[in-house]
Amino acid sequence: MSAFLSYLIHGISLGCGFALVASGIIIIYRVTRVVNLAQGMFAVVAGFSAASLLDIGLPHVLAESVAIGAAAAVGVLTGYVAVGKRGTNPQASLIVTLGVGIFCYAFEVLIWGDQPRSFAGLAGSYEFFGVDVPKQYLLVTPITVLVFVALELFFERTYAGKAMTACASNPYAAALQGIGVLRMSLYGFGLGGALGGVAGVLLTPLHPISYDSDVSLFVNGFAAAILAGLKRPVLALAGGLLLGVAESMVAGYSKASYQSALALLLTLAILLVQAMRRETLHAVEES
Amino acid sequence: MIRVEDLIVRYGAATALDGVSLSVARGEKVALIGANGAGKSTLLNALSGMVPKAAGTIRLGGRFAHVPEGRQLFFDLTVDDNLRLGAFRLRERNPAWIYEFLPELGRLRRQKAGSLSGGQQQMVALGRGLMAEPDVLAIDEMSLGLAPIIVQRLAERLSELNRQRGLTLLLVEQSARVALSLCDRAYVLETGRIVTQGSAAQLSDSPFVVAAYLGSPVQEAS
Amino acid sequence: MSFDSRSATIVALAAAGVLAAALLEESALAVYVLLALTATVTVGVSLLMGHAGQVSLGHGAFYACGAYAAGVLSTHGCPTWLGLLSAPFAAAAVATIVGVPLLILRGHHLAFATLALHLIFLSLISELSITGGDVGLQGIPRLSLAGITLTSVRSYAYLSCTALLLVVVVAQNILSSRPGRALRALSSSEVAAASSGVAVGYYKLAMFALSASFAGLAGGVYAFYMGYLSPGSFPVMLSIEYIVMAAVGGLGKVSGAVLGSALVFLLVHGLSRVATASGMPSTAPIILSYAVYALLLVSAVLFLPSGLVGLAARAAARVRARARARHSNGGQAETPLAAGPDQPAAPEQVASKHGSFS
Repeated sequence: MSAFLSYLIHGISLGCGFALVASGIIIIYRVTRVVNLAQGMFAVVAGFSAASLLDIGLPHVLAESVAIGAAAAVGVLTGYVAVGKRGTNPQASLIVTLGVGIFCYAFEVLIWGDQPRSFAGLAGSYEFFGVDVPKQYLLVTPITVLVFVALELFFERTYAGKAMTACASNPYAAALQGIGVLRMSLYGFGLGGALGGVAGVLLTPLHPISYDSDVSLFVNGFAAAILAGLKRPVLALAGGLLLGVAESMVAGYSKASYQSALALLLTLAILLVQAMRRETLHAVEES
Repeated sequence: MIRVEDLIVRYGAATALDGVSLSVARGEKVALIGANGAGKSTLLNALSGMVPKAAGTIRLGGRFAHVPEGRQLFFDLTVDDNLRLGAFRLRERNPAWIYEFLPELGRLRRQKAGSLSGGQQQMVALGRGLMAEPDVLAIDEMSLGLAPIIVQRLAERLSELNRQRGLTLLLVEQSARVALSLCDRAYVLETGRIVTQGSAAQLSDSPFVVAAYLGSPVQEAS
Repeated sequence: MSFDSRSATIVALAAAGVLAAALLEESALAVYVLLALTATVTVGVSLLMGHAGQVSLGHGAFYACGAYAAGVLSTHGCPTWLGLLSAPFAAAAVATIVGVPLLILRGHHLAFATLALHLIFLSLISELSITGGDVGLQGIPRLSLAGITLTSVRSYAYLSCTALLLVVVVAQNILSSRPGRALRALSSSEVAAASSGVAVGYYKLAMFALSASFAGLAGGVYAFYMGYLSPGSFPVMLSIEYIVMAAVGGLGKVSGAVLGSALVFLLVHGLSRVATASGMPSTAPIILSYAVYALLLVSAVLFLPSGLVGLAARAAARVRARARARHSNGGQAETPLAAGPDQPAAPEQVASKHGSFS
């Protein structure tokens, strides 16, 4: 029983991390119609930056905040390259974000080397139904929930959030109303960067992060985003948790190396079901 | 309100507008008639700054609102959201007067714009344009895909606005019937050039216009 | 696009390839082999992306599939020539099976699915004992064809050149055939293609399987060349490399795939020579190669949408237009066809001089 609980708790924290990455992907898509393949990089940049800043003596919350800021800045830069040039269609932007992500790889290895890094998060652990729960886990979940609530409120209730949604919904009409589509896009990318940064900063104490851990983070984050239909961040939270717990269970009860394959298969299955439902919808409309 | 002189607009190697000149005075209702591809939408896009001009001058004497062809609403957002976004440039973003002016929208305000009928969507598009408190309202193909009775109703509302608030109107239409019945003056645009202009009465009698753009002589709006 | 100029260029490529294989020294031949194999895969990727409009972030999986098929069969008693032959078919079979569900997806969904495919495949071969698991498959016997055993690098250079030529010829013929032209319609508009009676799904799948078979063939040769396979030889980055090469050269053009592969491969190889020189940190090769891939990819997508081949074609078209204008106007310079930077030159222009490959 305690093994199950420990896998569950681990899975929830992992899932929160995925969900945060997913939220960044969703936000960027919501504002620009571009799928950001470099999303994992934002997390890695933040994780590494936080580790370095803590190393040189900066206090905890400050170091993380600066790291998140750095990730946001990287986000804006990514956005600028991806959509700054007029006439870049979303498919092309997708590939551009891929290129930016790879460039970030190179950059990260240049600055931080190719060895995994971590930093100590909250020390100590609580006991919970006979299971040792590291305190860091208890930090991850509430913060994630808070972030998601904030995002939901922002996009559903605020004028700025609606304006950003409008940009992707109909860029031409948005421009006609005077909404600066490029500026909104950059805000969106910056926000996506910050969200990735939060993920990185929360997860690095749990799993040492290295320059290629972004692939796994991205793949899972993207999977969660896809499960949310790239629309509502709240669904990504559910999707992320599902994936995180599923992977944790697989890793615990069976072989750890199967976990990512399983997560991928699960996501593919859901993708296909969604696509097939859309196809039948079209077929029905045409008949 | 609007003065355009020798406007030239190009898309790459193609010339969409080739030396267009027109003017609209305050409080006027002017129509721009032309077939598909004549350049009408390009002209509006040039006026609202969506496409750059290659040559010529554009002078706007006040706030200019462009209601685009095909409504172009934000389908995922509600009617209320769509209206409020129309006032993006302004500080005051209350759509209350739109709901007074177009009461049908009142009960639709929480519905997603994508779920409305064509006529309702056109009303939202109009409302969104009006939210910007424009001095000139330009509408592209208002009547496209709408039942005549709905178009009639919209036209009446627009006339009201023109009378009460002095809103200047520029109507761009393929269907000259609607345009000429509502407006005082009209221009005819063909492949990027103004080929003829005059009062609505003159144009509805002109055999050229009748043949090209009207099935039969225009009835005066009652 | 005359048949003569196309076949003439294939002959030229063949001549160049054979000559290089005959004359280059051993160390250069090692680069040659990998370059030829990479180009073989890239031809498939380029056609898939440029012609059928599908992004594949996982073609490395088909490369690996062909390699492992050849390797596993040969290490279990199968004659090596059969192993090599099975490689493209194995890859095509996997592509067909996977493609039936996968090709329902579009755009970024398909991109993600192909990426997932690569990762799942890697996971699979790391687990199965028949593929040697994490450690890999060792002791793949030397390839022997028609009684000759290929042991020298030079022999593999000839072999990989042959594979590339084979793939190029097949690709050419496919493109100019009816299905090929149907595919051209596909990539511009699926609705239009469907309404003109083209079995959209069928052709998409066929294209997918065909491009996979190209990768599989290259993988098969790779298996015998290396004699040893491991999951580490087929990282996700490999799939990305193919995309970079295809994009730089020009999507949808066979000549673009070959040109792009050669350029990027040699550039990266040259840089890694610099990077592994004494005095450079151990991480330099990774930094430089990733940075180069990234910069090339971004630049190609943003500034050269039709790749280097497209750029060359437009330049050639402008030169020809200017020459013609000078002839007809008796010297007045200005070209009547001032195409903008994003616009392709008129088709008949591209055909005559550059109609060499597709």
